[in-house]
Amino acid sequence: MTKYLDLSIIEINELLKSKKIKPIDLVNECFDRIEANKSLNAYITLNKEEAIKTAIELENKEVDNILFGIPIAIKDNILTKDLRTTCASRMLENFNPIYDATVIKKIKEKNMIIIGKTNMDEFAMGSTSRTSYFKAPLNPWNQDMITGGSSGGSAAAISARTVLLSLGSDTGGSIRQPSAYTGIVGMKPTYGRVSRYGVIAFASSLDQLGPMTRNVYENALLLNAIVGKDELDLTSVEREEEDFTRYIGKDIKGLKIAVPNYFMSDIVSDEIILKIKEVIKLLEQAGAKVDYIDVPYLNNAVTLYQIIAMGEASSNLARFDGTRFGYSYPNPKNLDELYTKTREEGFGAEVKRRIMVGSYLLSGDNAKEYYDKALEIRDDMKKSFDKVFESYDLIIGPTTTTTAYKQTEALDDPLKSFMDDVLVIPVNMAGLPGLNVPVGFSKDKLPIGMHIIGNSFEEAKMYMLASYIENKLNLNLNPEGENHE
Amino acid sequence: MNDYKTTIGIEVHAELKSNTKMFSSSKNDFKTRPNSNISVIDLGYPGTLPLVNKGAVELALKAALLLNCKINKRMHFDRKNYFYPDLPKGYQITQARTPIGVDGYVEIEVDGVTKKIGIHDIHIEEDTAKSIHNETTSYLDFNRAGVPLIEIVTYPDMNSKEEAMAYLERLREILLYAEVSDCKMEEGSMRCDVNVSVSKNDILGVRTETKNIGSISSVGMAINSESLRQIKVLEDGGSIREETRRYDEASDQTILMRVKETGNDYRYFPEPDIPFIELSDEYINKIHDNLPVMPNVLRKKYKELNINDNNIKTIIANKDLCKYFESFVNDTNPVTASNLLTGDIMGYLNKNNLSINDINLDISNLKKLIKVIDDKKISSKQAKQLIPVMLETGKDVDVIINEMGMVQISDDKVLQELVDKVISANQESVNDYKAGKDRALKYLMGQIMKESKGKANPSEVNRLLVDTLRSI
Repeated sequence: MTKYLDLSIIEINELLKSKKIKPIDLVNECFDRIEANKSLNAYITLNKEEAIKTAIELENKEVDNILFGIPIAIKDNILTKDLRTTCASRMLENFNPIYDATVIKKIKEKNMIIIGKTNMDEFAMGSTSRTSYFKAPLNPWNQDMITGGSSGGSAAAISARTVLLSLGSDTGGSIRQPSAYTGIVGMKPTYGRVSRYGVIAFASSLDQLGPMTRNVYENALLLNAIVGKDELDLTSVEREEEDFTRYIGKDIKGLKIAVPNYFMSDIVSDEIILKIKEVIKLLEQAGAKVDYIDVPYLNNAVTLYQIIAMGEASSNLARFDGTRFGYSYPNPKNLDELYTKTREEGFGAEVKRRIMVGSYLLSGDNAKEYYDKALEIRDDMKKSFDKVFESYDLIIGPTTTTTAYKQTEALDDPLKSFMDDVLVIPVNMAGLPGLNVPVGFSKDKLPIGMHIIGNSFEEAKMYMLASYIENKLNLNLNPEGENHE
Repeated sequence: MNDYKTTIGIEVHAELKSNTKMFSSSKNDFKTRPNSNISVIDLGYPGTLPLVNKGAVELALKAALLLNCKINKRMHFDRKNYFYPDLPKGYQITQARTPIGVDGYVEIEVDGVTKKIGIHDIHIEEDTAKSIHNETTSYLDFNRAGVPLIEIVTYPDMNSKEEAMAYLERLREILLYAEVSDCKMEEGSMRCDVNVSVSKNDILGVRTETKNIGSISSVGMAINSESLRQIKVLEDGGSIREETRRYDEASDQTILMRVKETGNDYRYFPEPDIPFIELSDEYINKIHDNLPVMPNVLRKKYKELNINDNNIKTIIANKDLCKYFESFVNDTNPVTASNLLTGDIMGYLNKNNLSINDINLDISNLKKLIKVIDDKKISSKQAKQLIPVMLETGKDVDVIINEMGMVQISDDKVLQELVDKVISANQESVNDYKAGKDRALKYLMGQIMKESKGKANPSEVNRLLVDTLRSI
C-alpha cells in the first residue's frame, strides 16, 4: 500500500506538479484506507466511481492551486449534486440533491476530489454521532469510544487518515468537540464567513461550516478555499480576501490571552485541566501574557442554546412532510396521516424530541418567555465577549470536559449530549470563531483538545497560536503510530 | 333591530407587481403553465435560503407611504409556522413584529361626509402555492408560491357596508395608481377578508371573519348578510362564536367554514435567514418624493377644470385612460378632451375590447380633432363619424375631414347665398315666421342644412337666417 496520504499537502502538491504522482493515486489510496477502516463507519456514502472519474479527468489539467487533486470528505448535511445526501436520517435515505451547496461549488472549482459523505448525528442533532440512522461512527483511537458529534464521521475519517481534508458543520460545537475527541484540528469560523446555502439547516442563526483536518496549516488552507460572501446566503458576510495561513509560524510573544475561570472550573476533568495548564505554561514561557478572568453568562450558554437551537430546528424541519422530497409514508388515508406517519417514521427519536421541545418553546406566550429572552441574553453574552476582546487577543480553555467516552455510556440521558458541549456552545451563541487543537493524551491514550476562541473574523490569529502549540508539542496524532503519551 | 351598530375591519392581500418573487429570482407570473416559474427556493428544497426582492420592498414602501403609515426603518421578517401542502417550507415568511408600515389611514367619503379609516399595519409576506383538487387527487402548482404580497389591516373603523366599499374602492385606486398591484379581485391579485361584529353598545361584539370575497360589491353584500345573521342570532338569544366564514353569492349568505380554535398557534419567531433590513431616511425620502399623483388629487384638479363629475369618475376608474389624459390635459381644452375620451373613444374601445394603450392614439392628432370641434369646423355629428376612422386608420384628422368631405361651411358669403335661396323658395314660411310662428324658423333652418348637405355651420346659419328675416 502506498503512503502518499501520510505526506503533507505541500509535499503532495509538489509530487502532483512534478507528475511523480497522479490524483488517482491519492483517490485509490483513500478508498483502500476506507476499506481497511470500514469498521469505523465514518462514511455513509462513498463517491467512488465519480471520484475516480474526476481524478482521471484532472490528469489533463494544470495543477493550479495547492488543493488541486486533494481528496476531501463532506459531512452528509451538505448538499452534493447527484450524490446521496442523507443527513444521517431515514427521512433522506434516498435523497439525491439536484444542486450543489455553495461550498461544494467552491471545492469543485479548486478541483478537490469528493471521496464520500461522512456519518453524523441525524440532522446534526447530538454530540456523539449515535443518533445517526446509519449507526454511530467509531473513534479510531479506541473503537469502544464515541467520536463525538455531530461531525463524528468527518472527525473519524481524518483521524484515521482515510482522507486529507474534511468539512464539518458546527451549530453548538459539532466541529470542535469531535475534533477534540479524535485528535484533529477543527475550526468553526465566524458566523457569516462560510455560505450556508445548500446546507440542510438545523439552527439557522448558529449553523456554520468549517474545515476538519490533520493539522493547523491544512485547516487554514481549506478555510481559504471555502469562505466568502455568497449572494445566495444573506447572512454571509463580505470581507476582504485574506490568507488564513499568513500568521502561521509567527512569534506569539506579547500575545494577550484570557482564560475564563468557568472553563477551568470543576465541570472539567482534572486530567484535562492539568494538560491545559501545561500548555499555558508553555505559552507564558514563549512570552504570551495569560490571565484568568471571569466572563459573565458563560454558564447560561447551554440553556440559551437549547431554546434557540430547538426552536429554530422545529421550524427548519417542517419542510420534511412527505410531499416533495425524502421519505413519504406510502398510501396514507388522508393528509394528516401522510404528515404524521411520514414524520413519525422518517425522523429518529432525538430529532423528534427536539422538534417537540422546540415547538413547545415557540408556542403561544412561550416564544416571548423563552425564545425572545434567549435572544436578549445572547446579545449580552456577545457583549461580554466583546469586552474581553477589548483587552485580549484570544481566549483559550479546554474544548471538552472529558475525553471521548464509551459508546454505551449515557444512552438514556438526553441532557448529557448538551452538557458535552458546555465549553464550545458559547462561541456559537456569540457568532465567534472557535478552534480545537490537540494538546495531548489522557492516561487512556485518548486525545485532549484545547479550545481557542477569537474575536469575529480573527481566524488568522487563532491559527497563529494553534500552530505554535502544534509545533511546540509535536504530538504524534496518527492513531496507528507510537508515542501517544 | 336598528339599534345594533355594525363594526367592520378589513384585511386586504394585494399581490405586488414585481418582476420576480419575494424570496427567489423566479418570475412573478403564475398565470402560466403550472410549475413553470419555480425554483428550489420556492419548493422549500433542503438547504435553500431566502433572498430578498428589493423591488418588492420598494413597492411595499410606496404603498405604506401612500397609506400615510409610519415606516419601520429597521425591519425584519418573521416565520409563521403551520403545516399545509400549499406551504412548501412549513412556514410562511411574513412580518409579524416589524411590519414595514404602521398606524396609517385612508380617507373616504360617503354621502359627502369624509372619514379616516385607520390602517393598523401593512406588512410584506409571501403567497402560497395553489392547490387544485379533483375527486381522487390533489395537485400543487408552485408558480404562486413565494409571490410577494402586502397585507393591509385596518382598525375596526367602518360602520356600514358603504364605508367598507368606499374604503376598498379608495385603497384599490391608490394601489393601482401607485402601480403597486394590479388589484384584480376577479383574478385574485387582490383578496379581501372582512371582520364583522354587531353590538348594541360601545363594547365591540364577537367578530366573525368572512374570507376571500370576490368583488367589492360582494363585500357590501356579505357585510349586510353577515350583520343581519349575527343580529338574528343575538335576538334569538344565541351568541356569536369566533368563526371563519365564506360568502356565497348565489344564496346571499355567509357560510361557516370553521370555528376558530382558541390560541391558533403559529409559533411566530424572527426569520433567522434574513438579517434586519435598514431603510435609510434618504431612501424613504427618495421614494416619497417620487410617488405618483393620487386619484383624489386628480379628482380635485379635474373639477377645477370644469370637467363634469361623470367624466371624472370614468377617467379615474380607468387608470390607463387617466394616464393618457394626464399626458396632454394641460395643453388642450380639457372639457372637450374628456368628452371625447369618455364618450366616443371609450365607446369604440369597449366595443372592440381594447384599452387606450392598445391603439397608439397619437396625441397631436387628437388635439387637432379637439381644436376643429372647438372651432366648430366640424359638427359633433361629424366628429362621431370621424373618430372610428381616426382610431382605425390612424390617419391625420385634416386628411379624414377632406376625404369624408366634412369641412363645415362657415364662410358668411356662401352661407348668405344659401339663406337667400331658401328664403326666396319658401315665401309662405317667411310669412308664417312674420306672423310669429317659431316653427317656421326651424323649417327654414332644416331646408338650408339640407341644401348644404349638412355641411353648413348651424349656429352661423341660424344667425344669418334670423338677421335676414328681420331685415325683410
